[in-house]
Amino acid sequence: MDRTISNFIRALRNAEVRVSTAETLDAVSTVELVGYRDRAHLKRSLALVLPKTADEKETFDACFDQFFSFQDVRGETSQGDADGEAESDQQEGGEGEGSSAGGEQRPRQRGGKSKRKSKQNNLFQEEEEPDLGPGPITDPNSSLGKLLMANSRVELSMAMAAAGEATQVREIKIFTQKGLYARRIMDEMGLPDLNQEISDLRQAPTVPARRLGQQLRQRRDFLREQVRDYVEQQFLLNADVSGKRLREELLRKVKLSNVEHRNFRLIQEIVYKMAKKLSTLHSRRKKVFKRGQLNISRTLRKNMSYDGNIFDLYWKSVKIDRPKVFAICDVSGSVANYARFMLMFLYSLDEVMPKVRSFAFSSDLAEVTELFNRNKIEDAIAKTLHDYSGGSTDYGQALLDFKKLCMDDVDNRTTIIILGDARNNFGEAHADVLKELYDRSKRVIWLNPEARLAWNTGDSEMRKYGAYSHQVEECNSLMHLERVVSNLLRQAS
Amino acid sequence: MAEQQAETVAEIDKIAASVSSLRQSFEAHRYICSDQIATAVFLAYQLRKPILIEGPPGVGKTELAKTAAEMFALPLIRLQCYEGLDESKAIYEWKYGKQLLYTQILKQALDEVLAGAQGFTASVQKLHAFGDIFFSEEFLEPRPLLKALKEEDGCVLLIDEIDKADHEFESLLLEILSDFQVSIPEIGTVKAVSEPPLVFLTSNNTREISDALKRRCLHLYIPFPEPDIEQRIIAARVPEIPPELQRQLVAFIQELRTLDLKKMPAISETIDWARTLVLLHAESLDPKLVSDTLNVILKFQEDIDSVASEVNALTAKIAK
Repeated sequence: MDRTISNFIRALRNAEVRVSTAETLDAVSTVELVGYRDRAHLKRSLALVLPKTADEKETFDACFDQFFSFQDVRGETSQGDADGEAESDQQEGGEGEGSSAGGEQRPRQRGGKSKRKSKQNNLFQEEEEPDLGPGPITDPNSSLGKLLMANSRVELSMAMAAAGEATQVREIKIFTQKGLYARRIMDEMGLPDLNQEISDLRQAPTVPARRLGQQLRQRRDFLREQVRDYVEQQFLLNADVSGKRLREELLRKVKLSNVEHRNFRLIQEIVYKMAKKLSTLHSRRKKVFKRGQLNISRTLRKNMSYDGNIFDLYWKSVKIDRPKVFAICDVSGSVANYARFMLMFLYSLDEVMPKVRSFAFSSDLAEVTELFNRNKIEDAIAKTLHDYSGGSTDYGQALLDFKKLCMDDVDNRTTIIILGDARNNFGEAHADVLKELYDRSKRVIWLNPEARLAWNTGDSEMRKYGAYSHQVEECNSLMHLERVVSNLLRQAS
Repeated sequence: MAEQQAETVAEIDKIAASVSSLRQSFEAHRYICSDQIATAVFLAYQLRKPILIEGPPGVGKTELAKTAAEMFALPLIRLQCYEGLDESKAIYEWKYGKQLLYTQILKQALDEVLAGAQGFTASVQKLHAFGDIFFSEEFLEPRPLLKALKEEDGCVLLIDEIDKADHEFESLLLEILSDFQVSIPEIGTVKAVSEPPLVFLTSNNTREISDALKRRCLHLYIPFPEPDIEQRIIAARVPEIPPELQRQLVAFIQELRTLDLKKMPAISETIDWARTLVLLHAESLDPKLVSDTLNVILKFQEDIDSVASEVNALTAKIAK
């Protein structure tokens, strides 16, 4: 199969664009159709075949630009090759001038530039002229030396890619490995032999041999640059996201109160993904209803075996049953570290599930559904925390407020989730309100961010409240949260 | 017939031979499209793949399919999706009435058929010999999808607003989208007659389309158009509009799209507005005119209120 395309798809997958095998095949036939010649056309064509959401299209754009520019640098297209080489060659020449400690001084002329650009794959030769003269030059012995002197840009980059393959540079995970991989690739390509040859040639008696040594040294440095670029590209294409996945995996397990500030954005993404996954997983359930419009064709068909006498009826209407969820979140100081995440989850849940009503309280309770709907996630959370986190915790008051606000809306299909540590500052618990909720609703779920051991110590009213909850769970990591909500959705539907 | 068909196919082949010829042909049919859109139709034709078109309402998703049908001179078969749509509405249905009627009429004939049969087993065997006449093509009522497959010269099949249909319906589509065939248990598999239909699916993204469906389609996202394309669209659709007004109008709409609105004005609204302004014999946009006709481009009172206060600033900005 087309190597370039499969590598590109690998890079895409790393960037979290989901590409199935069938789509890979489509991409291959697309490339067969449009070819590599017209870059813009190729990009537009692949953009139709590979990414399948608006988000993925953005990622695709970035990925495509990065990936196919890389091809230019590596020298697989002839145009990019000439330019790229001329540039890096100049740079290299500059270095040579400064650091010509052991070798001969070489006056350099800028005039060679245009000439150099015009000739492809033959740039090293050009440098020879102002140097020791066009004298004879001995043949290199090491394999890498031969390759370097062969002046074939394409062969060199192929060798580099092969070495990369052999050292499995694609497995690179973190940036500190870059040096290691660059070194491994150089070694794989035969650097030790070359170094040996260069140091031998430095002491060589004849001019042609010394000339060769100088040439080889320049080209080695140039190669080193190239390899470094190559590894860098591979890192960007392959590792960036595996690293991210690793971090995501860790973040799921870490206690929410310990998450560092810089990871908030990532957490937000995870939470959103989680909420979305959960809601798509569960929103599909339907109940066939025993009323609605008569499905005539199906009824007739089923009753044909009864000689057309209709006594087995089929109805058209089916009902999609989505859970109705009321979520109450404690945002007071004692759970401040968790509140942010709970709110984040509430917000995400709200985006993906149609019937979530959210409430926040510390002493007084208020509905924040509207606030969530109108604002972006950061603003919504900041506003909620600002508006409601001031007072000291009073669960009793909050429950009373909730009763006043929306007890009438609570019916036997409602699930109530309460997020809080149940630390009531020794105030009146008003567990009777919770009992009423318990009786009316389908489920009451209490999620407590504290470890089970700490429940019922001090001013925690967990025992009282726990008695009137269908389910009491410890919930202080994203994993807990996911499990609880998945359970909730399963039972709610 | 065959000759005519070959002619159409050759014609279509010629149009769909390259992206630029497609785009020109679209333009000739007053559908101004970006390269991306033309590429999508190009690939869809060359690779025989359905296109799933997503994008905000009113950017010309349905119009693309209609224009393609017109351009290729193929019949357009349209299936409008809605909640509760099922195979009996989309693929096929048995003609139950006819079946019932025939069974009643044929009751009398049954004695003759069975004459001479000894015992129950022999009678049943004799009946078997007649085959399933009641479940043959005679009694089959083809619905849009089956109709599209049976179309001799090929056709354009538009499955509109697939996101409005139930999740299960998507699974029903999978067979027809990937293999251009439909399985009817009583008859067998019906394949596309000669030319497989060119399939367009549109979605407004009210819900996520399943991966299985997306995987079988090319995915085209049509965003709001760039100013120059939008100007050309207006010029193509409302040719009588004065050029200066056209420029201002598009600039105004483009400005509106940068605001935080409940529903952004799409191309269809821009066209409507252009027509309205032409009707009112407007030469250029002024604040009063804009305020009076805002309800053509904005569909929520909330949006109208928030824009009304900024009309002056906006018109001043685009007058430059």
